[in-house]
Amino acid sequence: MNSIIVLIISLIGIGLGYFVYAKSIDRTIIQPDGNKTTPAKMYMDGVDFTPANRNVLFGYQFKSVAALGPIVGPIVAVQWGWLPALLWIVLGTMFIGWVQDYASIMVGVREEGQTFGALSFRLISRRARTILLIFIYAYLLLIMAAFGKIVGFDLMTNPAVPLGVLLVMVLGMVAGHMTYKLKMDILVTTGITVVLAFFGIWLGTVGPVKSLFLSINGGPTSPVLFGSVTWAQFLWSIVVLVLCYLGATLPIWRWAQPINYVAFWIVFLGILGGTIGMIVWHPAIPADFPPFSGFEGKLGELKALGPLWPLLFVTIACGAISGWHSLVSSSGTARQLEQETDALYVGGGAMFLEMFLATLSLLCAVVGVGYEKYVALVAKGANAGVFANGLATFLSKIGIPVSFGLPYGAVFLTLMALTIMYLVVRFMRVASAEFLGDAVPVIRNTAVGTIVALALSAVMIWTGFWTYVWILFGGSNQLMASLALLIISLWLKSKEKNYLWAFVPFIFMFITSIAALLNTAWQVVAVNLKGTLPIDKLIGNWIAAGLAIFLSIAALILAYDAIKALTRPLKLTKPAPA
Amino acid sequence: MPTLLRWPKGRKTFLKCWRTLKDIIYGMTTYEMVRDLKKERARREHLFVLITMGDWVGIPILPPYYALRLLPYVLPQITGWRCCLLREHDLTDLTDFET
Repeated sequence: MNSIIVLIISLIGIGLGYFVYAKSIDRTIIQPDGNKTTPAKMYMDGVDFTPANRNVLFGYQFKSVAALGPIVGPIVAVQWGWLPALLWIVLGTMFIGWVQDYASIMVGVREEGQTFGALSFRLISRRARTILLIFIYAYLLLIMAAFGKIVGFDLMTNPAVPLGVLLVMVLGMVAGHMTYKLKMDILVTTGITVVLAFFGIWLGTVGPVKSLFLSINGGPTSPVLFGSVTWAQFLWSIVVLVLCYLGATLPIWRWAQPINYVAFWIVFLGILGGTIGMIVWHPAIPADFPPFSGFEGKLGELKALGPLWPLLFVTIACGAISGWHSLVSSSGTARQLEQETDALYVGGGAMFLEMFLATLSLLCAVVGVGYEKYVALVAKGANAGVFANGLATFLSKIGIPVSFGLPYGAVFLTLMALTIMYLVVRFMRVASAEFLGDAVPVIRNTAVGTIVALALSAVMIWTGFWTYVWILFGGSNQLMASLALLIISLWLKSKEKNYLWAFVPFIFMFITSIAALLNTAWQVVAVNLKGTLPIDKLIGNWIAAGLAIFLSIAALILAYDAIKALTRPLKLTKPAPA
Repeated sequence: MPTLLRWPKGRKTFLKCWRTLKDIIYGMTTYEMVRDLKKERARREHLFVLITMGDWVGIPILPPYYALRLLPYVLPQITGWRCCLLREHDLTDLTDFET
């Protein structure tokens, strides 16, 4: 089968999902009214509540929801074969993903811009809000662990990568200075910094620079420092944490914002180039890459991932459904929607575009890398390297040499992860101050709050297995998604509308997420009890098991509260007028 | 000029597509920067309003003489300040700011 057919299947999924199913739900159940005043207009303060053009908001929503998840998830999930991964991406988005994103926006719009924290309090219970916040914190910690391991242990240890990444950071700061201090035109700033960033990525591939970073890494085989962590992994994970510290403590205009801006162009051009390369090349899917490798996810000599249900459905989170989207949709997008009729285009449209990105990532692994290389890379623990290799292959079809494309792919992924990570630390700092600020006042201090968040992240990064962390990250994310779907169902019920289109996905996601978390807990405990693991893996596995069990119990308490909420007559009280 | 652009309808479609693309790219890139800056400015303005008009919410900071002298400058910000101050806030609100 040709890879273009996979893209066509994905496009058919978009067509059926968006133009048939989503439009019919929008028209018959939600019934948006273009003349109704939205919170963006009603409470317009020029800051949080500001009406924005639907296309601008579409771009904003897509950029906010599409991070590393839709890229890495499918790469891991092809271990069950490419067909189950593709089906989940397409069907998950068609029946669940867009439902959550779109309905989160509509609930926010109809409930005067209230976010999910407040809504869970009003619709379910006080405890539900607390559980939501716990999920968010656990989710953020797992993002730090999963992304930190990818960047610090895998990508940055490649001697061709660090210079490019560090130069992009510096150039981002320069871009901020040029824009805000020197008041230079944004186009000139973009042109100069992005061109220099590409030059920096190329410079990183030059022999002497690579040798320099190789010697910093301690040679081709970096010595083991503790447990199974090598010197290079330790060093680069520390660098990553320092970058996160700067990102979380410096003013947003000085660090996070301009670096994100420059990094966006590196990522955007990579996706564009990769897509064009893939279409120009349009190869057949390699015959040796199985469409289905079995229910245990055992590909070649790789260790089995575990049962297809439930693990596949949490391994690919973003790209099919992700709880984070509901938070972005309800807190950001809903407050900027100019007309109710824009909600489907913005929320649903961005989700379907993310599905397309996930499909491209899947093709990166299956077609761009191929079976043998994929197995070899994953066996080495270089899951992110799969994407870099695939992207390099696609880019080579439009004349960009692999020697540049490979580190470019790695820098691309590193930037995608880092831009999220330092914002995550920022959020963790604020959240810990909110949770513990009264009991432990010192945590309110910016530096202390950030260091605590980074210390917790460091423990997660330096211990355990990446695959388990990734599944836990997916599990907590999907639990958040199921909570969002539950709130949407309760809201629909309170409005006496058909809620099954949100409630059935909730049931599926809830049971699947809990099953995935418990399965992971069982797997890591079983591995630990064998007693053959080095100390770092052992500690990480116990933490993972504890976290999985804790999240499952919290989710079951939530389910209990939700059943009570579903069976009682719901009546929404209006918030106090502003 | 390409043939398509010579036709009024083709030109209109092209311009519409171009504008849509520009808006989407703007939404992905500088829109968030602009919002962040607006938020930063609003915070400072709210602080200014609080200093001058604090006695409205029971925090008298400035003597009424100076407050009244500054009133014309503060007036345009009062509605936004009032909305922001009285609105119910939640931790999940921060998701928008931080992403």
